[in-house]
Amino acid sequence: MGPEAVIEVAGLTRRFGSFTAVQQVSFSVRAGEIFGFLGANGAGKSTTIRILCGLLAPSEGHACVAGIDVARDPEAVKRSIGYMSQKFSLYLDLTAEENLEFFGGAYGLGRRALRQRGRELLARVGLRERSAEITGRLPGGMRQRLALAAAMLHRPRILFLDEPTSGVDPRARQSFWALIREAAREGVTVFVTTHAMDEAEFCDRIGLMADGRLRALDTPDGLKRSFLPGEMFHLELSPDRSIDALASQPGVLRIESAGAAYRLRVEAGRFDPEKLRALLGPAAVRVERVEPDLEDVFLEVVTQARGEAVP
Amino acid sequence: MSPAGRSLRRTLALSGKELRHIVRDPRTLYLALGMPVVMLFIFGYAVTFDLDRLPLGVLDADRSPESRELVRAFESSGVFQRAWDLSNAAEEAEGHFHRGRIQGALVISPGFGRELGAGREGQVQFLLDGTDGVTAAIALGYAGAIAKAYQLRLLSRLSLELAPPLDARVRLRYNPEARSTIFIVPGLIALILALMMVLLTSLSVAREWERGSLEQLFATPAKRLQILIGKLLPYVALGMLQVLLVLALGTLLFQVPVRGSLLWLLGTALVFISGCVGQGLLISVLTRNQQLATQVAAITALLPTVLLSGFIFPIENMPWPLQALSTIVPARYFISALRGIMLKGNGPAEIWPQLAALLTFALVMLAAANARFQRRLD
Repeated sequence: MGPEAVIEVAGLTRRFGSFTAVQQVSFSVRAGEIFGFLGANGAGKSTTIRILCGLLAPSEGHACVAGIDVARDPEAVKRSIGYMSQKFSLYLDLTAEENLEFFGGAYGLGRRALRQRGRELLARVGLRERSAEITGRLPGGMRQRLALAAAMLHRPRILFLDEPTSGVDPRARQSFWALIREAAREGVTVFVTTHAMDEAEFCDRIGLMADGRLRALDTPDGLKRSFLPGEMFHLELSPDRSIDALASQPGVLRIESAGAAYRLRVEAGRFDPEKLRALLGPAAVRVERVEPDLEDVFLEVVTQARGEAVP
Repeated sequence: MSPAGRSLRRTLALSGKELRHIVRDPRTLYLALGMPVVMLFIFGYAVTFDLDRLPLGVLDADRSPESRELVRAFESSGVFQRAWDLSNAAEEAEGHFHRGRIQGALVISPGFGRELGAGREGQVQFLLDGTDGVTAAIALGYAGAIAKAYQLRLLSRLSLELAPPLDARVRLRYNPEARSTIFIVPGLIALILALMMVLLTSLSVAREWERGSLEQLFATPAKRLQILIGKLLPYVALGMLQVLLVLALGTLLFQVPVRGSLLWLLGTALVFISGCVGQGLLISVLTRNQQLATQVAAITALLPTVLLSGFIFPIENMPWPLQALSTIVPARYFISALRGIMLKGNGPAEIWPQLAALLTFALVMLAAANARFQRRLD
């Protein structure tokens, strides 16, 4: 279906000594797709991305990026990808423009081509007026956009972004994601890792990593349908009241507590807010129907992965 | 663009960036250009092994023309200065020694002149503060020389026919006044380069490991050799600037001669700098951490260069294990080659063994660093 796959991964495994960071991971990413890689810290996201960028050799399995086997020819891979590492990797004592000039030089761009492309990208990421400022003095969100510009200098077909929005405020995140979507519209494939579930909603497809394994892979809606069948309710109870009255009801699939609030998942069509209020009595402060989000999916997947799934 | 053009472009981009780091953080520049000046002044003016007016206590219990002449001989040497006249021997001298008022004492016993006049042996006692062994040894040499000259004068006066059996005339070649600055400047160049080059390069690469920018760089198609050369070139240039600075100041302020070819001198320095830069790189690749890199650089570059290079302590006087250890200290060969070129006017015919040793060190360091500077992260 759709255009050709630009990233193909089969049975990918990476060990560090006796620790297996990535275990038997297989997936493929189509051209122009925004592919999200989700997982907690240490789930194997960064290791996978480093292998795909030719920075780390796989212990087992195959990975093809832009039609090139990364284990066989990592140098050729580097020409067709842009990479933004998890740590903020620009030089803080250089100006925004100088950073671009340097990375352009490292990619081997000619001076004139680089100047034009640099100007174009600075305008695109909203840094034209601040291009002469020392990078260390720019706010975090701008630095992140500058790093994206640096990764796009050589017009890569694929962008690998490792936690690009960690540590920046929500507004800066939004403008960063607007840039990601713009790149994808132009046909660039974007492979992005994150642990922010709200961001994952912007992805075309999502892979969920836990403990080095790929536990789920689908569109955000597909993940919700397959992992969270039924309906969800958000409940708030007055303090010191218990939710036990609901736990034994037939049709209740799962109750997750979050402080005084609960997320309740039930079989479709068996409950509505009035019925729940009646069941809970005066304890109910707030009862409303909600759409499940990826946070719920993630919790469900991790729980299942740990072998504690509720039937 | 041709592959060669692209390759050059990458190397230049790295050098340009590194140069900007150096210029943006003036502390590096101050350190690189300020330290040589400060060290040259300290070693040139303060740390000199030449003795000048060493305070001397004098006890002339004889008070004869002969004894006065001996005291005068000590005073007029310029090496000793009559600081205290002692009235009785041992205890008073001891007290002055303890308070540091005198560093030497000349004790002439009664009857010195009479004994000499009768053609017998005159007894003189010379005491020295041995807490500073270097100074004491030098002072002892001077005292012996003064006494010997005095003796010769006496002999010639007593019997004109009697010539001394042996007349050894010592002349110091290449440094006739035995000025220690002339001896020290070559060592100082080695010390400054060894310290600064190893430290700066190891810090600059370790910083990029720490910040993760090296990982970002590895994700570009730039080759590791291009990254290495581009990063290190500015530091090599900085090192050459330091050499020229110390040479210029040494020549202007301390009249340190450069008798050999300046070109060979700079060429030798370039080889030495390459070795230091290689060493710094190897340290940073192994530690990947600025703090650790600094410590390792200080231990492996500073200590051997000060202690085992012949800069201050002659290698010939060391016990054999240290002598053996000194053969892998590049500064040893560099200092020896520099002294040869600057003071003796040596050229390639004389300095090739040192040059070969330096070249070997540089190649081994750079090759090891390059091998460890893996493209892939582990």
